[in-house]
Amino acid sequence: MTDRIVEKVATQTDESRNQGRRAFLKGGAAVAGGVLFTKAASAAEGKTYNPTKAVAPYAGKEELTDVLQDGAARKSLGFGVRKYPYGMPSPYEKEVQRRTLEWLTPDAMASITMSPLQSLHGIITPNGLHFERFHGGVPTINPEEHRLVIHGLVERPLIFTMDDLKRFPSVSRIHFVECPANGAMEWKGVQLNSVQWTHGMMSCAEYTGVRLSDLLKEAGIKPEGKWILPEGADASGMSRSLPIDIAMDDCFVAYAQNGEALRREQGYPIRLVVPGCEANMWVKYLRRLYVHDVPMQHREETSKYTELMPDGTAQRFSWYMEANSVITYPSPDFKMQGPGKYYIRGLAWSGRGKVAHVDVSVDGGKNWKEAHFTSPVLDKAWTRFELEWEWDGKEAFLMSRVTDETGYVQPPMPQMRKLEGTNNVYHRTAMVTWRVHDWDGGKNGGMIENVQY
Amino acid sequence: MFSTKQTIIAAALALSSATVFAMSGSPDSNKEVVAKKDGLYASNYVEIIKNADGKYLDAKVIEAILGKDATHGRAGLKGKLDPANPYSFEVDDSIDGGNHGNSQCKVPAAFVEVHDSVNKNYYSDADFVANGFGTPIAESALEKWNITVDGDGKGLPDPSVGMTVEEGAKVYVQFCAMCHGEFGEGAKGYLPLAVDQNLVASDFRDPAPMKTVGNYWPYAVTFFDYIRRTMPYWTPNAPFIGDKGYMGITAYIMQSNYIPVGFDEDGEPIELDYDTFYNSELLMKQNRYMKNQGNFFCDHRPVVHNERCMNNCPDSQVGNGKGDVHDYVQARKLPDGTLQYNVPQRLHEDPPGVGHAGM
Repeated sequence: MTDRIVEKVATQTDESRNQGRRAFLKGGAAVAGGVLFTKAASAAEGKTYNPTKAVAPYAGKEELTDVLQDGAARKSLGFGVRKYPYGMPSPYEKEVQRRTLEWLTPDAMASITMSPLQSLHGIITPNGLHFERFHGGVPTINPEEHRLVIHGLVERPLIFTMDDLKRFPSVSRIHFVECPANGAMEWKGVQLNSVQWTHGMMSCAEYTGVRLSDLLKEAGIKPEGKWILPEGADASGMSRSLPIDIAMDDCFVAYAQNGEALRREQGYPIRLVVPGCEANMWVKYLRRLYVHDVPMQHREETSKYTELMPDGTAQRFSWYMEANSVITYPSPDFKMQGPGKYYIRGLAWSGRGKVAHVDVSVDGGKNWKEAHFTSPVLDKAWTRFELEWEWDGKEAFLMSRVTDETGYVQPPMPQMRKLEGTNNVYHRTAMVTWRVHDWDGGKNGGMIENVQY
Repeated sequence: MFSTKQTIIAAALALSSATVFAMSGSPDSNKEVVAKKDGLYASNYVEIIKNADGKYLDAKVIEAILGKDATHGRAGLKGKLDPANPYSFEVDDSIDGGNHGNSQCKVPAAFVEVHDSVNKNYYSDADFVANGFGTPIAESALEKWNITVDGDGKGLPDPSVGMTVEEGAKVYVQFCAMCHGEFGEGAKGYLPLAVDQNLVASDFRDPAPMKTVGNYWPYAVTFFDYIRRTMPYWTPNAPFIGDKGYMGITAYIMQSNYIPVGFDEDGEPIELDYDTFYNSELLMKQNRYMKNQGNFFCDHRPVVHNERCMNNCPDSQVGNGKGDVHDYVQARKLPDGTLQYNVPQRLHEDPPGVGHAGM
């Protein structure tokens, strides 16, 4: 029985993948020679698939009366239960996908995909759309053979099976997880017209697992143990030094994400959750917690994931993600539909706690109005904001600015660039600007463009 | 460049003053807290932060604790490198046992919420009762997994393990050169290992500098750690390379980056010869002479402490930073007017806009 389910899921996954591939080829994008997206824009009309525009086209029918007829959905039976033992989104949502920019990385095993933030609602990222970042590909680990070890400067080195971990008291929390390189491509200027590209190296999910403090105390840390080295069981053997003050704060070892086991892409069978901190500290395929007296100074905390400043110095051990926000609607994937009322919506988050305020400006930062929250306001989690806006059809510059509970106010880009230069790569957490083109009787097509000051 | 000692001297020149702090709008705003400044910073910072509802990054709170001058930008950074500063991620040199100065960072004292939580979960948790889950294991059983090396070289192989630089070059060419280039110049989008480029940016429009082992790897010993644990990419920690081979590869890359093993009487660098037998002792020597080592400092963010302005905001916060909202940059366009995405980067005309080739 299990075999049949697995087979069905596999078939279904293949179907979905082929669907994507067919649609992709239909879009006329030239993939040869690694040059993606050339001419794709010209094929954007109608219902053809455009890899640069990731919003599903709902408004297909010109004549509303057409859809008032009883169609196939009403006049015939739909499919039965268990057609899909593991359910998948409607085929009409096929363009809502994780995407990557091929020129970012030399191969797919050390690469990244971005979540389609422009198509997401609420504060939870579905598991299939959770962003991916691999340093050595995704292993398929048998949980029966996986172990977590706590050793080093501990009283009792311990080895845990996955069943052992699930016997501990559990904790479920909603947190965002953000790659510190989120928005990295925009340091030197604007170049990508989608929230998916500018902010998609992040997701937000409900994680369930065991408090790291419970596990560490179970093994008993010796007084000289001040740093923890989590290490992954994958080819990259991801490792970062975690100070005991972060480890004992609110970290946990997660085995579930949004109610089901972690996906392989997110660390199946277990990963570390380090709320509010850089996603590369959330070590996936976690196999070892090595307690040590000094930080390890490993590659991913020295030569990578450190921020190069204009004077040649570099900032290291940058743990917490700054408060950040972005308007997801209207945003460059959408088109304005004429002057009138809009509800500006977006996401705000902070690695240092709860979001306190989100303000929205439509005039490039001169004047601001406070938005209200349409989701729960949680610690180190996405928060949804919304603000009513009456668009007069004139050119507008949309920006959002978050203030978190620590009193930190998100800065504009020119200020951040002046302080940190443009070769930083990581932590580009300043505001972005969406330029809404003058409606001009519809001549500009309602275009919304990513611009940068 | 930013040694802690310099910082303390610089900071000692600053004047200290007492500030009265009351947070408007907070429940305790009627209760005024006087900043006690016996040294450079308010010693009662916890009280000030708690009185302000924990808003430790509020511009006014920072000002009350650090004084007006220490709050902004790169100038404020020098003060932040002083471990006595409640906002500093730096730790005091004196507690570092390593061989390269200040090598640790910490969660700043001003993050009172984190420290309260850690105190509750760990330092003051007298009630903890072990569940007894998991199985005890001997440290010796973990030899296979525990192959990490730390920044002080703990975990390196015995000095008898190694090979000459020339032999190391052969191992490198066999297992690494197809992706990183015969001379470490990089290939096929994989990272270069030995391009010595200046990291100081004079103009943000210049291509991003290439970060390599030579100019951007502060600890030689963890280069060995990294390649032994994760390379070759397709089959990490390869027994057919072994500690000996990994030591040889390290030797070749260190030599390609002209990392000295010491300095002679005239102060000239002593470089590795091709027939030098390279081992963990030489690696430890080189660990002191990595080129960019002194330029890494602990996280000093946020350097921005803006006020939350709602109407007629100052020009510095509007548009291009000078009040002009029409002075913006757009993505480049193709001749037909459609937007283009990183065309020069895709064609490899210049290095990718993310700062280095590949991630």
